[in-house]
Order: sequence, then structure tokens, then C-alpha cells
Amino acid sequence: MSALAPAPWREPPIGLLAELTHRCPLGCPYCSNPLELVARERELSTAQWLRVLEEAAELGVLQLHLSGGEPTLRSDLEEIVARARALELYSNLITAGVGVSERRLEALARAGLDHVQLSVQDVDPEGCDRIGGFTGSLARKIAFARAVRRLGLPLTVNAVVHRHNLDRLERFVELALELDADRLEVAHVQYYGWALLNRAALMPTRAQLDRSVEIVKRARERYGDRLLIDFVVPDYYATHPKPCTSGWGRAVIVVAPDGRALPCHAAHTIPGLVFANVKDAPLRWIWQESPAFQRFRGFDWMKEPCRSCPRREIDFGGCRCQAMQLLGDPEATDPACALSPHHARITALAEAEAAAAPPPFRYRRLEPVPA
Amino acid sequence: MSFAPDDRLVLARGVRVRFDPVRNCHVLLAPERVLFPCPTSVEILGRLGEPRSFGALVAELAAEFDAPAEEIGRDLEALLSDLVAQRVVRVERRAA
Repeated sequence: MSALAPAPWREPPIGLLAELTHRCPLGCPYCSNPLELVARERELSTAQWLRVLEEAAELGVLQLHLSGGEPTLRSDLEEIVARARALELYSNLITAGVGVSERRLEALARAGLDHVQLSVQDVDPEGCDRIGGFTGSLARKIAFARAVRRLGLPLTVNAVVHRHNLDRLERFVELALELDADRLEVAHVQYYGWALLNRAALMPTRAQLDRSVEIVKRARERYGDRLLIDFVVPDYYATHPKPCTSGWGRAVIVVAPDGRALPCHAAHTIPGLVFANVKDAPLRWIWQESPAFQRFRGFDWMKEPCRSCPRREIDFGGCRCQAMQLLGDPEATDPACALSPHHARITALAEAEAAAAPPPFRYRRLEPVPA
Repeated sequence: MSFAPDDRLVLARGVRVRFDPVRNCHVLLAPERVLFPCPTSVEILGRLGEPRSFGALVAELAAEFDAPAEEIGRDLEALLSDLVAQRVVRVERRAA
């Protein structure tokens, strides 16, 4: 270790986001996966994932998010869930729910799965198919959700909202209630990866955003005792930035399908950072000492206005990836923050995009995106 | 929030409480949430794996801790109100 390296980070991580595969039957234009996806032959093996789970539990991880792509495309998912249960990790399956039989779900429940999060692209069948690029998706998702509840598993409906489906937000709430969901996540698109590529096609107007805030408020008042509603507002219209992943390297480890470990799923967009692979390095070292995880911990890297801001311990200067993407400087204040000198420009950009006719979607595909 | 003796209380769906040797404390795990319950909450939550009536809980705790049922009831009501508000515990009420 270099004499100048910062002290190892002793706080344990809360969650492990295991991106088991980038394969997916859907092609949502706001997918949070990188533009350059990992092909099947580069995915970690079962044994490698089981070892990652053990290392994660030893390090203090409490929750395991099984994600992707579509995690149920891994035939070893039951084995992974069973190991999570044996390690007392709380397992959360994040799925599109279009190709999962009730029998498969039952096997996952038996293995000890704790919770299911189902994405619903739209409550309108045609809209749902159009956004996911998959025919007959909504009926399959509804059947899947009913199977989840029949098995007694808790259910979250995840609704990613944007200009094309926001006008049906009330119906998302009704659907969640009808499906006997425990939680509804109303998440405005966050513009990274594929979503950034499709920003103009997805950006809502401020009026749509304001209406969604009202709808969520009313739904919480009315159904709060039955349905927990989480709400993520769009950055570009925000006043304060989000504390992305609860702060860089503070709560979450993302492991990509090929074993690369990152502090968040967009971190690879920051140039100059080298992300260690769980195949080569212990997870403990990656979390506590690797330069990429240490890069934006603490407050020393911050510039003004973040450095002296009383909110720096609340939002940590916002999202590093967004500062990189929009300003070309990963140490800058996230321009989602009203204190950023670039905030007005970002908001104006959002307003202009939302006011123009939406361009066609560029669907998420495994093949490289043409420039 | 107040509870009738025959109100039944149970952990909300998807809630698990376990001891975490790394942090050396109990943790409450729920969908997309991790909470760190106080020792008293841990004591109560541990009894709510199956639905229990408020009355039975008060009687049980009063006997175990050798304290007046009235006092236990008051403290328990405050604690449970908080746990219900946080959607960690669910109340099953008999239809009026």
C-alpha cells in the first residue's frame, strides 16, 4: 500500500446489487445497463457468484438485489437464492416477469426468496409492449404478479415513468392495489446509459412532473395504510440533487455480469477509474481499499459550492456520473443541484426536449450502438 | 394509535429481524429497507412472527417483567404505534 493511500473504509456495505446477466427479453429505452453490454460467455459462473455472496455476507452486506438484465435467465438462480438464505442475506428479485413460470417462481420461493420487484412499463397493454419491445407483456406481468402473491411473497410494482406513460399514473396506483402489492415505486427515469441516449424521447414536461407529485401525494393519503409508495423525481427538474446510491462507496456494491465491482451501475462512465474484478481481488479489499471505491469518499475531493455546503452530508454533492456526463468533470457539483452554476441550463435543456416532439426510441440491444 | 385487546398484531409481509455479527446489533430487513431497531423493539418484534392479540402480549410481558399491565400497555401502545406507522408491523382488526 502506498504511504499516501487513504485509510481503509471501515463502514460495512448494506447492499449488493448482483447483475447476474445482461441478457433480457425486453429492450426498454431507459435501461440502466451500460451501452456496452456483457455477452453471455463472459458472465461469472455459479461457483463465482456463490463465492461473491459469501464474501459479501462476511463484509456485512445485508440485502442482495438479484438484477440484470433479466436474472431469471440464469438457470442457477435457485442455487444463488438458496445460498443467500443460508447466509441470512435478504434476497430481492428484480424481474420483468415475462418469461417466469409459476413453477419456477415456486422453486425460488422454496429456496428462500424474500421479495419480488416487478417492472411494469405501462398499464396500457400497447404502451407496455411498445416501451419494452415485447408483445403481450402486460398480461404476462399481471399473471406473474398474481403468482407472486399466491405464493405469499411480498411484491413491489416498479413503475418507471416518463412522458409516454405519466398521464396514466393513477392507473398504476390502481393496478398496484388490485395486484395486492405491498409497495409501489414510482421512479421518474434517471438519465444514464440507454436513458441518456433516449433522453429527448422520454423527458416529461414540468406540468407532467407536478401532476405526478400531486397524484403520489393523494395516493399516499388515501392508501397509505395498504400500499407504501416510494417516489423518485427527475434530476433535471430537481432543486437538490439525489444522494446517489446513498453516497459513493457508502452503502452499495454493484457487481456486473463479468465480475467487475462498481460503486454504482454508471460508475464506468467516469474516465480514469479502474474497477477491480471479483475474480481477481477479494471483495473486502475492493470495498475498503480499492482506489475506485475510495475516489469520492469523504469530502476532500469536493469543490465549491459543495465543499462548504451544509447539505454535503445529506447528498454528497449529488451524482458523480451525472457531473461527468453533463459537465465533463466528475468532481463538479451535480448540475441537478440549484446551487450549481449550470443548473438553469440543464433545466432549460429538459424543458426544450420535453416541448419538442419525441424522437423514436433507441431500444436497448446487446449489439453495440452505432455512434 | 390505540389498540383494543383483541386487535391482532403481526410482522408486516417481507419483514425479517436478525442479529448481525458484523455490526454487532439486530437489524430489521424489509423490501428496500434496512432499519436498526432498539433492544425493546427487538424484544417485541421477536414475538410477532405469528399474529398475537394486543391483550395477550400485554399479559405476557406484564408477567415476564413483573410490571403492572397498565404501564406495560401504555409503553407497548406507543412502541407499536411507531412500528405500525413505519409499516413494520401490521394490525388485523375485527370488522366492527
